Amino acid sequence: MKLSATRDGTRDDPAEPQAAPVAKKGHPVRRRLAGHLVRGLVMIWVVTTISFVIIRNIPGDPVRGQYEALIERGMSPEQAERATAVLYGFLPTGTLWEQYVGYMKALLHLDLGQSLSTPGTEVTTLLGSAASWTILPVLGGTLLSFLLGVTLGVYAGIKRAGKLGDLLTISGSLLHGVPQYVLGLLMLAIFTTLWPILPAGGPVDVEFPPGLNGPYLASLVQHATLPVLTYALASYGGWVLAMKSSVATVLGDDFILAAELRGLSRWVLFRYVARNAILPLFTILALSLGMLFGGAIFIERIFNYPGLGLLLVDSIGARDYALMGGAFLVTTIAVVIANIAADLLYTVIDPRVRTGGAA
Amino acid sequence: MKRLTAIAALAVVATATACGTTGTTSSGGIYTTIDGAKQIDASAPINPFNPQGSTFVGYDTMSLGWPKNDLMNPDLFYPGLAGSWSATPDQGEVVIHLRPNARWSDGKPVTSKDVRTSIGLAYTQGGSAYTVNAGAAGAAADVVIVDDKTVKITQGANRSNAFLRNVLSTVVVPDHVYGGLLPATFWRTLQDARGTGPAADKAKTEITGLSQKVITFSPRQDVSAGPFVLERVNPGAALLKRNPYFYDAAKIVPDKVKVLNYTGNEQIWNYLVSGKLDSAPFTAVPAAVMARIKATAGNEIRKGYSPVAASMAFNQSRKPYDNAHVRRALAYLIDRGQVTRVASPEAGTPSIATTGIHGSAAKAWLGPGLAGLNPYNVDPAKADQELRAAGMVKRKGQWGFADGKPWQVRLTVPAEFSDWVAAAKSITSQLNDHGIDASVTTSADYTLYLEELASGKLDVGFWLMALGPSPYNIYQRLYGSANGWSLLAGRLTHSPPGKDGNWMGGPEKIGGVNPGELTNRLNLATPEEQKKIVGTLARLTNEQLPVIQLYDYVNTQFVNTSRYTGWPPHDSEALRLPAGVWMQLGMIEKK
Repeated sequence: MKLSATRDGTRDDPAEPQAAPVAKKGHPVRRRLAGHLVRGLVMIWVVTTISFVIIRNIPGDPVRGQYEALIERGMSPEQAERATAVLYGFLPTGTLWEQYVGYMKALLHLDLGQSLSTPGTEVTTLLGSAASWTILPVLGGTLLSFLLGVTLGVYAGIKRAGKLGDLLTISGSLLHGVPQYVLGLLMLAIFTTLWPILPAGGPVDVEFPPGLNGPYLASLVQHATLPVLTYALASYGGWVLAMKSSVATVLGDDFILAAELRGLSRWVLFRYVARNAILPLFTILALSLGMLFGGAIFIERIFNYPGLGLLLVDSIGARDYALMGGAFLVTTIAVVIANIAADLLYTVIDPRVRTGGAA
Repeated sequence: MKRLTAIAALAVVATATACGTTGTTSSGGIYTTIDGAKQIDASAPINPFNPQGSTFVGYDTMSLGWPKNDLMNPDLFYPGLAGSWSATPDQGEVVIHLRPNARWSDGKPVTSKDVRTSIGLAYTQGGSAYTVNAGAAGAAADVVIVDDKTVKITQGANRSNAFLRNVLSTVVVPDHVYGGLLPATFWRTLQDARGTGPAADKAKTEITGLSQKVITFSPRQDVSAGPFVLERVNPGAALLKRNPYFYDAAKIVPDKVKVLNYTGNEQIWNYLVSGKLDSAPFTAVPAAVMARIKATAGNEIRKGYSPVAASMAFNQSRKPYDNAHVRRALAYLIDRGQVTRVASPEAGTPSIATTGIHGSAAKAWLGPGLAGLNPYNVDPAKADQELRAAGMVKRKGQWGFADGKPWQVRLTVPAEFSDWVAAAKSITSQLNDHGIDASVTTSADYTLYLEELASGKLDVGFWLMALGPSPYNIYQRLYGSANGWSLLAGRLTHSPPGKDGNWMGGPEKIGGVNPGELTNRLNLATPEEQKKIVGTLARLTNEQLPVIQLYDYVNTQFVNTSRYTGWPPHDSEALRLPAGVWMQLGMIEKK
């Protein structure tokens, strides 16, 4: 059954007999936003519930792991047993249902619980700290790759028969094909070992007192350079190829032909092509921005960059249920918000959506 | 565009400034290292009771003494905050004499009250000498302040020979920072907890209830009695500066210590290859990377004793591993030299024999008796004899069960331990060559591996053992909870195979000997008795092979001589201690 979108975002089934129009209260955009929010909240609840069940069923006993780690560090068996027993106090107990109810109640109070791997530390503190290191570099990398990829993608699309177009397409395919971790390792080897001009790990040199001072800010930039560059290069290929393909499609549209026949300047033509070709990429960009809250796991791991991705991986290794749940929740919320933002953004930038596809 | 150019120029200038200033400090320089015991977590409180805490043992975390890791005597310690100590022969009473000039980094003197408060806090965490469990052996019964610098600690009626070393390992924190965590009635409650009945139970619950409060305590700043004090920490590193009040400040050369964080071995390799680390604990390193590390100017390796060994362990509740003949046959087929060369050429030596003890310590414990034990040198003919004695049959070149069922050796290791994976592949290859269908399976990570092992899912796996120097710790690994023996309130019980974490599944008694009981006695016995027990357990282990000891680890550390010198020599007792303790012992000098 095919559904079509109406102007206010509701859907009509063409097979159903047309009912008499019902007057709807409120501004259409506000109604649309409210619908999105309700759907978003339901989605968050569903994902949180699923991830809760999955996390609690991941095989591996964190207490035994902790015990072994302490034994291997030279602690006597009794000491290790006692130390893990103290840590065990941080683990949730009770049936799965009781844990779930407790978890949901705590969530309503914005309490994500305490971390097991960093006992005594709130999950929100850890997430906040990691987010501050993740968002700027991943955001920077995403925007850099988007701008670079989209701009060059337009050229690759327009000049697709020329050498420059070929070169750009090859660069896109190549970088799109190389996995992030391979690229990261290459960058690491080149810029920290063969030509050691950039630091290999950490977010900032601890020698500089934090604050708005030159050395500290410079150190931040230095440490973020490789992760940002790697992220940008790893994502660049996808943008170039997507934009090139989108441009090629738009170039075949009637309005471009009409514009050419009208003798419009190349610059105006370029704007026509770019503006129309970029539309589908905005959705991907919005979702990418939402996904950045999941962090760039491989890149953060390689460069020891303490973002959300690294935190998530570490929490899985330690079977830190609360932290895992918190990290998944943050990613889910970010993706839901990005979805809503993308939809609203589309409404703004694409007249066809504003007019319910009738344009 | 102009604005963009200006921003770019500013970034370049700022970057250059940072490059120029990094590492430039006053004469002592910045000592850069890795804390092998934990990864840095900048969110963790500055509190040594927190397992992830932003404090560093030997630098800003101080204990009364530092263990020397002697081959046989676990009671040998270097002085820490305790300048000296004495103990009665039965360790019933230990008297600690604090260093007269020990002071905290805020200038206040370290006193007996600090030690008493630290012991009180340790009670909330439990274990070792400070447990409130009635009847637990080796528990402190009384803590008395003799004077400002002298503390007397008395052991309870159920004596343990681990008391002195457990007392000396006490981490000391300042009373004026941590004292408030203990309620005014704490010591009275502790007395009540030592009794029995509902009042004692209530008191125990009250003390245990303090554990989270102690772990989560987060002082605003570090107050240390060690050579350094935490200046700041971020997710990438911790920076510690000299404590001007440290009692032996003249011995401490570096101005600062930078502890770099790591999330995987490859980061430590990278630091080493780029010559950044002044010292680092050993991590498993592929040969090619090791060559590059060695090629870096100044990098050197220090080797010494490490009381740990890798072994192949059997689930004896699974057939045919319940049969000692099968285990012996496998031992005769495994070339341990080859396994070591493949798995750990830098940090391991092939085990002399399966004794349960690290090779170096086995020589000291067993003396000439070691030569009398079966070394299980490679001998396929003997392996065939043993397999036949176990009732196994060889058909078409493949060994199988007598009833015709195939025998498949599934050797499981955690995927993340590259040396174990390599060792397991070498072993299965050798077994395949002898007609035994053997293969390696991996568990996704160590946490999962341990759960699978404990639940009895695995037939054969890898297991760390020989965790000395305490003989009890050594044999507890083989005849402790993993093999069914558990100690509860001073009573030793044995669980049947597959229950309560008994995955090794060995019998409670072997030829009239109860190895769990003997192991437990090691904590109570005199040195002479210990020697006898160790001899019996080594012989039993050698005959029964609950594990096949493969390679004994060598404590392999990296040092870089470019900036500092005066490292502990090879085989130094200090090698297993953090570099902060080396400095306390006057070992690190500026080059």
